Amino acid sequence: METKSTFNMAPFLGVRLGSVIMAVGGCLLLGLVSGHILSDYYQRLVWLAGLYVTLSVSLNLINGITGQFSIGHAAFYMVGAYVGGFLTDTFFNRAHIPDLLWLTLMAIAGAIGAAFAGLFVGLPSLRLRGDYLAIVTLGFGEIIRIIVQNTKEVGGSYGMNIDHKIPAVWIVWLLAVICIAVSRNLLKTARGLLFLSVREDEIAASAMGVNVTSIKVTAFLLGSAFAGAAGALYAHSEGFITPATFGMDVSFIILTMVVLGGTGSITGSIIAAVFLSMLPEFLRQSDPRTGEAITLSGSSVVACLVAVVIAVALVKRIVDVGKENKRALDLFFAMSAGGVIFSFSILKLLNRAKEGKATKLTRFALYILAILAGFAYQALFSRLLGKYEPLAHKVIPLEQLRMVIFAVTLIVVMLLKPNGLLAHHEFSWSWVKRLFGFKAPETAVAS
Amino acid sequence: MSLLQLEDATIRFGGLIAVNSVSFSLEKGEIFGLIGPNGAGKTTCFNLITGVYKPTSGSIKFNGKEIAGTPPNKVAKLGICRTFQNIRLFTALSVLENVVIAGALRAKTGLLSALAYMPNAIQETEQLKREAMELLQILDLQDVANVRSCDLAYGMQRRLEIARAMATKPDLLLLDEPAAGMNPNEKVDLMNTVRKIRDLHGKTVLVIEHDMRFVMNLCERIFVLDHGEEIAQGPPQEIRNDPKVIEAYLGEAV
Repeated sequence: METKSTFNMAPFLGVRLGSVIMAVGGCLLLGLVSGHILSDYYQRLVWLAGLYVTLSVSLNLINGITGQFSIGHAAFYMVGAYVGGFLTDTFFNRAHIPDLLWLTLMAIAGAIGAAFAGLFVGLPSLRLRGDYLAIVTLGFGEIIRIIVQNTKEVGGSYGMNIDHKIPAVWIVWLLAVICIAVSRNLLKTARGLLFLSVREDEIAASAMGVNVTSIKVTAFLLGSAFAGAAGALYAHSEGFITPATFGMDVSFIILTMVVLGGTGSITGSIIAAVFLSMLPEFLRQSDPRTGEAITLSGSSVVACLVAVVIAVALVKRIVDVGKENKRALDLFFAMSAGGVIFSFSILKLLNRAKEGKATKLTRFALYILAILAGFAYQALFSRLLGKYEPLAHKVIPLEQLRMVIFAVTLIVVMLLKPNGLLAHHEFSWSWVKRLFGFKAPETAVAS
Repeated sequence: MSLLQLEDATIRFGGLIAVNSVSFSLEKGEIFGLIGPNGAGKTTCFNLITGVYKPTSGSIKFNGKEIAGTPPNKVAKLGICRTFQNIRLFTALSVLENVVIAGALRAKTGLLSALAYMPNAIQETEQLKREAMELLQILDLQDVANVRSCDLAYGMQRRLEIARAMATKPDLLLLDEPAAGMNPNEKVDLMNTVRKIRDLHGKTVLVIEHDMRFVMNLCERIFVLDHGEEIAQGPPQEIRNDPKVIEAYLGEAV
């Protein structure tokens, strides 16, 4: 299997130029489009999602790729935000620098500040592994937050106003793209594999000449720098920061994104970040356009929960019995609302009954049937429960259920996919080709 | 000058003297066996040589340079690489990636060019992959290059450990029970492979092994360790007939 060097400069430059133009152009377009057609509220969601993508992909660099269990990521985010905010409040009026350049400078300043913090927490905790490191990073995050809370110069617990807001959706997303590109590049080169080797086995890695210490410090530096840059952008987009914005819950949400997406998978982190940052917002109390509260009847809520439990149990059993027909399963996970979950679990049962002999058309018909069955179930069950007085007249605002649905979603996903949505897999063009049947799937080699 | 020289190497853990004043030296191009009953201190010797432990006293010289207490990653760069008794592969990674990682200690491109995916980083990675494929061919693993290493059969995992250690291009290869868990045919293959590594690639090999037939056939000199102390040293024929060795370890003549 001798392969000659296939490297050519010209196509490399072409691809590089193309991808840079596409990245910048895509971000500009996103910024332009969201600026023109979306309301302020939805625009905020767009840049918030971008920031969370940066945060989860950068934490994935520390947690997933290098295997250092850090749960204090919000602290680096906070350091970046306060460094950026403080510098803008102090120097912007005297500096006479154009907005966008200033914002870029602030992102870099935030990154440097957070990288120092990363070094600060990385160095002493190098001897620690697993849970012990997790506790140290958690403690570190709280220390930073409490220090800021008690520093009057940056507003203490009242928070700090950033006098000059510079909202730029496209820069936020450009940062996310850079963070993704850096992670992906790392995994494609021999040097990046060293980070994975530290995750896999530190003793073996050091016996193979890997400087475990420097790899860990580098991972902390890189990860925290990106979080810091995201923090600075947050400060300038939102215009107001308080220590409470960067509490432990934010750290945990970011960690949840990484784990939910599949520890180590960049694609998984991105999907989970967008999904989890949007989900609670979409479940908010009132429709931002009409201001009307969205409510659910008590019976349908109970019906949903029961459907989720039944569906999880059914699918769990099927997944344990046989692992064939993975694609249908993946499609299944893409849908997660109660009734739809239920319908797909019926579908799985039907598919199993047919032992995979179904043609594309019958399978499609089955999908439709299953979805209809889901709706039928939903209607029937709500109706039955409706006869039960306390539930029939109970109206529950969605707001109250927001975190319940959020939590249930997490539990369901983790039960069904313990390795996260994508496990160790990454998005690749060959995967797309396989999905659409252009290429035979690679056969796994049995052990 | 010998390639590796241990002089009165001693390490104690609290009251326990795991290795007591052990001295031996390896000549370049030699296949040297280290045997002894369980708990005799063989793997501890490996750990002393590779810098996992710092000897309490005594010296370890490699190419005439003192290496006692040098951290493992620097020892690997000096040209000593080892395999592990309890297999320690990078389990979630592919066979090829395992070997590329070991080869990367010779990488010259910096982190920044890797992060920016610069041409030199790409070329270097390709080069390392080619070298890794060559090594996999030597150990007959080329067909499973893209399989996750934890999915390999046991004997293959042992061979991959050797391939990975070879990828660091060491002068001295330390094999810790390379034949454990292999069937007789695989053991013969392994013996030939180790000889090939020595003959074609000019490596010096230090091997710990419990299988007497394997050790006696493969090694040119053998060192016998019991309770952390030397009890015999010499060519296989001598060791086989040494009454102290027979008493302490072999139990019967082989």
